[in-house]
Parts: sequence; structure tokens; C-alpha cells
Amino acid sequence: MSVLAFVGRRVAALAAMLVVLSFLVFALLYLAPGDLVHSLLGARAVTPQAEAAIRAQYHLDDPFWVQYLRWLGAALHGDFGTSVRTGTPVAQMLEGRVGVTVTLAAIAGVLAVGVGVPLGVRAARRRGSFEDRAITSASVVGVSAPGFAVGLVLLYVFAVMLGWFPLYGVGDGGLDRLWHLALPAAALAVGVGALVVKVTRTAVLRELDQDYVTFARSRGLSGARVLRLYLRGAAVPIVTSVGLVLASLVGGSILVETTFALPGLGVLLADSITFKDVPVVQAVTLLLATFIGVTTAVVDLFANLADPRVRRAAVAR
Amino acid sequence: MSGADVATTTARAPRRPEPSRARRAVRAARRVPGVVTASVVVLAGVAVLVVLPLAHGSALDQDIVLGTTPAGTPGHPLGTDALGRDVLALTLAGARSAVLGPLVVALGSMLLGALLGTLAGYREGAVDAVVSRYVDLTLAMPALLLAIVVAGVVGGGYWVTVLVLVVLFSPGDVRLVRTAVLQQKHRPYIEATRVLGLSGPRVMARHVFPNVRPLLLTSFFLNIAYAIVAMSGLSFLGLGVSAGAADWGRQLADGREILYDNPAASVVPGLAIIVVATAVNVVGDWLSERLDTGMSELAEGSVPA
Amino acid sequence: MSAFVEVDDLRVTAGDAPILPGVTLRVEAGTTLGIVGESGSGKSMLVKALTGLLPRGVTATGSYRLGGTEVDLGGSDRAWRRIRGSRVVLVLQDPFTSLDPLRRCGTQILDSAPGGRRSRAERRADVARRLAEVGLPEHVADQYPHELSGGMRQRVAIAAALASEPEILVADEPTTALDVTTQRSILDLLAELQASRGMTLVLITHDLRLAQERCDDLAVMYAGTVVETGPADQVFTSPAHPYTRALHDAIPPVDARLDRMPTVAGSVPAATDAPGCPFAPRCPLAQERCSTDPVRLGPLGSAGEREVACLVVGETVAGHPSTGPDVPPVEPADAASRSDTSASEAPSVGPADGAKPALLRVDGLVKQFRGATARALDGVSLEVRAGESVGIVGESGSGKTTLARCVVGLERPDEGSVRVLGRDGPVNPGPRDVQIVFQDPYSALNPALSIGAMLAEAASVAPPGAHRRTVGELLRLVGLPEHYARRRPARLSGGERQRVAIARALAPAPRLLVCDESVSALDVSVQAQVLNLLADLRDELGLALLFISHDLAVVRQITDRVHVMRSGRVVESGPTETVLAAPQHPYTRALLASVPGAVLVPVLQEEPA
Repeated sequence: MSVLAFVGRRVAALAAMLVVLSFLVFALLYLAPGDLVHSLLGARAVTPQAEAAIRAQYHLDDPFWVQYLRWLGAALHGDFGTSVRTGTPVAQMLEGRVGVTVTLAAIAGVLAVGVGVPLGVRAARRRGSFEDRAITSASVVGVSAPGFAVGLVLLYVFAVMLGWFPLYGVGDGGLDRLWHLALPAAALAVGVGALVVKVTRTAVLRELDQDYVTFARSRGLSGARVLRLYLRGAAVPIVTSVGLVLASLVGGSILVETTFALPGLGVLLADSITFKDVPVVQAVTLLLATFIGVTTAVVDLFANLADPRVRRAAVAR
Repeated sequence: MSGADVATTTARAPRRPEPSRARRAVRAARRVPGVVTASVVVLAGVAVLVVLPLAHGSALDQDIVLGTTPAGTPGHPLGTDALGRDVLALTLAGARSAVLGPLVVALGSMLLGALLGTLAGYREGAVDAVVSRYVDLTLAMPALLLAIVVAGVVGGGYWVTVLVLVVLFSPGDVRLVRTAVLQQKHRPYIEATRVLGLSGPRVMARHVFPNVRPLLLTSFFLNIAYAIVAMSGLSFLGLGVSAGAADWGRQLADGREILYDNPAASVVPGLAIIVVATAVNVVGDWLSERLDTGMSELAEGSVPA
Repeated sequence: MSAFVEVDDLRVTAGDAPILPGVTLRVEAGTTLGIVGESGSGKSMLVKALTGLLPRGVTATGSYRLGGTEVDLGGSDRAWRRIRGSRVVLVLQDPFTSLDPLRRCGTQILDSAPGGRRSRAERRADVARRLAEVGLPEHVADQYPHELSGGMRQRVAIAAALASEPEILVADEPTTALDVTTQRSILDLLAELQASRGMTLVLITHDLRLAQERCDDLAVMYAGTVVETGPADQVFTSPAHPYTRALHDAIPPVDARLDRMPTVAGSVPAATDAPGCPFAPRCPLAQERCSTDPVRLGPLGSAGEREVACLVVGETVAGHPSTGPDVPPVEPADAASRSDTSASEAPSVGPADGAKPALLRVDGLVKQFRGATARALDGVSLEVRAGESVGIVGESGSGKTTLARCVVGLERPDEGSVRVLGRDGPVNPGPRDVQIVFQDPYSALNPALSIGAMLAEAASVAPPGAHRRTVGELLRLVGLPEHYARRRPARLSGGERQRVAIARALAPAPRLLVCDESVSALDVSVQAQVLNLLADLRDELGLALLFISHDLAVVRQITDRVHVMRSGRVVESGPTETVLAAPQHPYTRALLASVPGAVLVPVLQEEPA
């Protein structure tokens, strides 16, 4: 078997996951309690004409799997139907919101990784020291603190009490936006960062115990060079945890956006759920889950291929 | 050593030194007993709150006329919320909702994990293939997102949410148990039982499982902590718990509006979530270190996002 | 280049707990010092202290001088980096883990090479030169460690270690994880390198025989202290310290079979600061003061070359004006305990003897694992009769372990048959007539179960009518105290665990015991104890043994007949005495030649009394 086949298997697994996911998301429509037609009508009046119109529009009389394929086909073209709540095309609603969520997640992600990885490495290098225990304790609290709880505390302390940051809203682009997103990003970064610290520390500890590190040190290699060596070794498990990190970011941003009333995808999702606006829920969920799934699979694949032992095993099989 | 004897394998097992006395001495110096004790105390307190009904009686009494009052108001040390409910009483009452569901989630996940994981690891073959595919699939999906979506769309309240979380958490435990079982199958002490002619189920129960138990226990605690966070998040969004119930996530959501008038109404339940979840995590971490039979690496990676 | 090493009263502690109560050593420039010790002797910690690689929380104090300059044992990492590499380098035991799996060998070798920027071509040339120095072809530079065999990896590691042109090379059990034939070549390489580079070599090993063969001087360690030093030949042939003597006696000779291995009860204790000699509790010469009076290394004889830390021996041999030590040389083996090697006395197991029924019959066994290029077993046939002890000798890849597993039913052969007492295999599940003792005592026992529970369960599967022993009886049978039944394996030493494994195997009253490298992972003194135990059990219980090992000397002690295996086939068979005294097949000859001490065997051999 060649490397190509190895990659092929992974891609196939990813595809399978996406298919199942899309199916689940589609089936949500049917899982919603109450009459399907009423769900789709939302707040509009229920008249026989309206019912017939809905039935036609959503092809509700077709067999299940046909409906699914039709929906999937449309989704792949970017057409997610119309919002039950606002009547506007879903795709349009998403457009405006994506930017906010992406910015928020990006800032939080960079913060989490930029602070989390060095802290994790430091804790591992000084294992058992006061520093290590402090960092580890902080990360335990960080992992236990849900983004919205931290967000609220931050909101109270820095926005209400001290008034340094704005309370709600997303600002007018550029620096103003950054200022508005500072607290939410910090709140989000705490939980995700704690996760990154844990994963990094574990990975680095494992490498530090390895013989090749001792051997490198015994040959007189400088501290910096040895660091590079074991960081390379630890890189794979750290990088492959990107899936967890992303999922944490996504889940967390839904909550944090709600806390800070930011007009992002997260709030859209939460509101749509409350209003049972199924088409929107389907669209957002599919988008987010696909993004996470694909990114994880791609990163995982590259990380594994970067390890020569895996390459050899793949070829040898 | 089963499997093909390739030229790269060693002639004999690398000499393992007696458990390094030095290493043990170093480890002993690193424990932080105070934090663990504090956590246990916190958890004990929570357990009391869950069990005793006295906290729940008056907590939900509303006093619309009174409305929001700040902390320090006579009779209400932490003030009242928008509906005039005493914040302190409400927070204490919320302990039950905060902890009971997660407990069930962790238990359910553990049971499912033990069952499916043992089955997959013991039988291997087709059974294992099916279980593994299912586990890989579920673990690849973002748990919190799906929980929110499913709980939100399907509705159904608190216990439906619990069920959804059990389904989302269990693959982690299944993988944990399956790996532990598979690893042990080829160890000499298990092969010895085959040579002794002991039956499969007996070996699983008496020989394999005792080494899996500590891993499951650690995972149990970590799952509780994650479930507390997840469920409070769901109720914060208005999902799961019914509107009037005593729940920390709900309190947070409601308290957001009166942040200027009585910040305690949301900050206090927020801190409660953090403190309890941390306490559970600390105990879980401590257990994981104590029960290190050399298989503790498996405990990581079993908790969902 | 003088690399005169002086270590004086080096102490290593982890907090309050002592790890090395005090070590004193000397190494002359350009020579090889062998540090010999069993598990728990502290030799690895010593080496780490001398290279500044002690783990966190462990500190070293004392005097350490290299070439006259004092080295600060508690110095910072930066200070140590001036010593590591350029003056002292450490080569680790396991070649499988000491190289970085993510980088190519060529790059790794140049890690610590001195010199600034060089062109690619220059670097390649340098790597090629270094590879050639360790006997490897140039293309290895482009390969990854996992693509190489164990021996090749160790050579790469040595090349990498030498890149910084060190004065002193410390090798911690550099060949323990390798095949016997590979061992020899690596040790030869080290000797060549030492000569060509004028390096000082410190070899850490548990193998006294190997140390004597390869080193100029020896230092024997016990419980964290050095108990004897001196020229290797002298220490080996005339050990002064009772422990060294015990260590020497425990080595199974490859040229003779002993009735019983001479042993000393007990095992190496933990290091302690308590006064007195750490060996006193086990020492046959111990007197009362040995446990109370301080014991230090003192000169032995007047030549000034040897030192011993023993109150009794040191005294007996006070200053004699002679050239050599005054310790009586050790007989190659106590003549009276040698069994008569004449053929008529050998246990009657020739194929011609059909009186005893075959307990085990293996016919034409063939086995190939999925994905393997070669067969693990390629037509193996043998027989074991009741009460017989048959040996299987081979290196890794010979198929000996696969054979063992097929015999006990852990593997199913592709072709051929395994018959026990005439009944068809696979043996298990089924009658419990065949049991197995594995190699690694640390994974042979379930960490979650108590010893008693394990043994009781094993005894419960004894067939009806067989002698069903109690847990207490089983423990006594293997020489362990009864209260061990309550303990978990974690509290037992390697030797004790292996005894429990044997007890477990004996519990269902089997007729045949398969020992798959059962003593290979044990210290030599513990190995001797277990070999005696197996011999006793064989005599007491009429047990048949199928003894698998790579160690010819061990095989000689415990088997009556032997089969030599290579690449899945039996290349030579016959009575053990005959095969090992006069091997026919070239492979057997090569194996015999690789045994440390084999070269010297003709010199030391004495006529039996």
C-alpha cells in the first residue's frame, strides 16, 4: 500500500463522517416536536393554502431520502433555503455574521495557543516546581470555568465596575472592534487556553522522559537545541489536538457571543434554536461542524505524514 | 513476544531496574494535599445540598413587588434577582440541578463505555470494527455544538439533555476501555490465564477489568466536570431546564440584565459553577495520579470537547 | 590527552533518601574501567551524576576531578555543558530509543560536531567518515533510525557520541539489549575506537565476565557503594570481596555443568546511610562488627592496585610483600560440585531409549505470520519425555518463542502437530499438562491481583486426581514466605516475581513446564537461585522442562538435550554436553564463540578432580 492509499483511507473516513453529519442535521427537521408544517410556518397563519404552499416549497411529499439529497445538493451550492423567522434567504443571514465569529474565534485562538503552548512547555520543563503547580492549577480552573461564566465575571469587573471596556456590541471596525471583542476573546481564550496548556504539558513531559533527549543532553547540545528537538517530538500530539481546540472554540463562542450580545453566528444559532428556525439551525450547524471536521482531518493527516515512522508503516502495509 | 521475530527485535527484554527508589522519593515531594482536601470538602458540601430538601423550599418564592435588590439588603445577604428571589437561597438550591444531571451523564457514559468497550476489545473482529467506526465518527463531531443543537431543537428539558450528553460522552469511555482491554490481552499475565484454561468471561471480569477500573474512575470524575460545564452552558442558553427552576446557568442568563443593580445575582452562581467543576477536576486529577498502574496514558483523550 | 578521572566520596541523595552513600573511583587515562553491579546497585545513578544528568530533586555532592580540574557536581546546566560532549559523553543502553525517531541518522551524528558553518559537501564527507569509523556504509546517513537493526543503531549512536571528540566515553550497558553475536562486534568496535582515539572508556555492565574480558580495571558496586576495585583479571580470577566472589560463582560456566549453582540468599538491598557493610546480612564471612563498624575501601595486598571494602578480608590479607594479591584464586568451579561429564553418566535420554513415553511430540511445525517475509517456524520436530529437560537455543528471529507458544497453545501452527500425552493439540483450552513461565517478570503478574488470589485460582484448575496444592504449599515450593500471599506484585523484586510465576505455572500440577527465556531478564545472582529452584523442582516433582534460551551457559546447566534453532529450523540436536563441547554446525560454533569468556575458556579450564 502506498502513501496515497493511506491518505485515501483517511479521506474516505472524513467523507463518511460528513455524510452522517449532514444526514443528522437534515433529520433535525423531523426531530423537532410538533407538526412539521407548523414548524416551517413559524409565526405565520396556518391556512390550508399556506400549508399546501409549504408542502410544495419543501417538497414534503417526497420520500425522505429524496428530500435529503435535494437539501444536500442545494446546500453544496450555498443555498440553505429561507429563514422561517425572518423570511430572508439563510445564506444572506450568514454572510454578515461570519465575520464577527471568525474574528472572535481567531483572536481567542491565537491568544489561547500563543499563551497556552509556552506555558505548557514551561510547566513541563520545571516539573514539580512551584511554577509548574501554579500553571497546572490555573489550567485546571480554566478548564472547569465555562466561557460564559468567566465572560460574565470579566464583564462585571472590567465593564461595569471599572468601565474600561464596552458592555455590549461589536463596534465599528478596526480598533474599535478590537476593543469590543477584547473581553469576549479573553473569556473564550481562558477555557481553550487551559486545554492547550494541558495537552502541551502532557506531550512535552512525555518527550522529556525519552532517551533521545537524555542522549542529546549528554552530548553537550545547548539548551536551545535540545528544546527544539523535543518540541518537534511533542509537536505531533499537540497539533493533532487541533480538533479538540476548534470544537472548544466553536462551542465556547456560542456561549460567549450570547453573554456579550455580539451579532455573530453563535448568537444566530442560539436565537434560531429558541425560535425553532430549523433551516438556519441546519445551515449553521452543518457549516461549523464541516469546518471543524475537515480542518481536523487535514491537520491530522499532515501531522501523521510528517512522522517518518508512520510513512514507513503506511508503505510497508 | 508474538508476531514475526524480525531482525530488529531484541534478544531479550531490556533490563528493567527495580522501581527506582530515587524516582519515588522525588514524586512524593510534589503532592499538594491542601488543595485536594479543600476540593473534597467542597464536594461534600455539594452532596449535602443535593440531598437535603431544606434548601429548596423557599428558594423559588418570588416577590415581584420587591424586585431586584443589591447584596447586603437586610434579610437578603446576596440580594434578590429581578423576580425578587433571594440569590443565596436560589444558588444553594441550584446545586441539585448543577450536579445531579452530570452525575447521571458520567455514570451512563461509564456503563456504556464498559459494556461496549469490553465487547469490542474482547471479541475483536466485526464487532470491534462496528464499535470503533461508531466511536471514531462520534468523537470527530463537535460535542458541545451538537448538544446545543439537538437539545434545542428536540426540546424536552433537563433529562433529555442528559440523555444527549450520555450519547456524546460515551464514545470516549468506550475507546478508553477498548484500548485498555486490547493492550492487556497480549500481556503475559493474561496469556497465562489462557494457558491455565480459564474461560474468556472469567478472565475479563477477574483479570482484565480490575486494571481498567481505575481508568474508568478517573474518567468518571473528569466527565462529571465537563458535564457540569456543558449542562450549565445549555441552561444558560435557555435549553434544558425549565424557565422557573433553580439552576446556576439560568441564574447567569437572568442575572445578565440586572448586572448593574445586583451583580451578585449572576456572579455568585457563576463562581459556584467554577468552584464545583474545579473541585471535581482536582479530585479526578489526584485520583489519576494515585492509581497510576502504568496505564494512565489512556485516560487522556477520552473527554470530549 | 590526560583524562585522569578521580571521584572521591561521591554522594547522591533524593531529598533525605540516600541513593549512593559514597563512591570512590579512579580511572587512568586511555584505559577501560568496568563498573559492575546488579539491579539496584546504583550504577546508573552514578553515571548520571558523573555527566550532570540527574533528575530533578536528586543532588550529588563530593569531589569529582577530570584531568586535575575540579567539576562542580551541583553546577548549572550551562556549566555542565562545557563538560558534556567535549570531555565526557554518555552512550545509553537501548539503541531503539536513544536516537531521535524524526531525524535522519546523518543529521543526528553531526549534532555535536564542532566547527562553524560548513558546506553541504563538507558535512556529507564528515558524516561518511564518521560512519566508516564505526563500520557503517555511507547510505546510512540518509536513513531513519527505525529503518536500522539494533546493532546498526548502536553504531550510529556511538558515532554521534564521538562527534564532539570526547576524552571519556561512558557506555551504560551498551550491548545488553542486543543479540549475543552483535554484542561482540559492538564491544570490539568500542575497543578499536578507544585505541585509535586514545580515549578513556568506562563500561557499565551487570556481566562480570564481559567486564573482565573487555576492561583493564574493574569496580564492583553493591547497594550504592564500591566494594572492590582492581585490575580486571585479578578481580575476576581472585575476587576478594565476598560479594564479588558470590557474583563470580553465580555465573554459569559454559564449559561445564554444575549440580547446583552456588548462590547467596536474598537480593541487593536499598542504599542506606546506616553504618556497617551493606552486604553483611547475606555474607558468609560476616561477623558482628560488620553490621556496626564503618566500612571503607582500603588497600589490599601491597602492590597497591587493588582495594576492597571489607573488614574481614582486608584484615586477613594484611601487607604481604608479594607482587600479586594474596587472595586464593577461585577454582573455575568447585570440583566436587561438577557432575561427571562422561557419557554413561548423562541422564538417559538418547533417542534410542524408548522406555519412557513421549510427553510432548512436535512434528513438522510450520508457522508464518501475516505480513512476514519469512517463516517463523519452518518444519520443526522434537520430543520431550517425562522427567526430561530439553533445551532450545537460538537468537532472536530463530523462532524459539513461536515454538514455545505453539506448544502451550497460544499460537496455532499452519502445518504440523503438537501432541501432549498422545492427545492432539492445540493443547489449550484443554488438559493443563503443559504450563509456561514467561521471560519478563514485570509483566508476568497481574498488578491488580494479590499473589494469593492468583495462585488459588491457578490451583483450582488442577485436573481431578492431581495433587492440588494450597497457596501456602506453592509459595513454600518456590522458596517464598507464606505471608507473601497477601502482597501485590508491585512489592516484589524481579526474582521474587519470577518465583511466583513459576508457582502459578506449577499450581495446576502440569507434567511439562515451558520456560521461555525465564531467567534472561534476571540478575546473574538471582538467575542462579532460580536455576537451582528449577532443578530442584524437576527432581522433586519429576517435572519435564522445555527450556528456551539464547544463553548457552544457562542451557548447559539445566538441560539434558538441546536443539539449536536458526531462522525457524533446527540446525543441530543432541545431548547438551556433546553439542556444547564439540559443536558440529558452524552456527552453533559461532554462538559458542560469542559467549563472553569463551575465548578464555581453554586458558582457565582445569581438569576436574
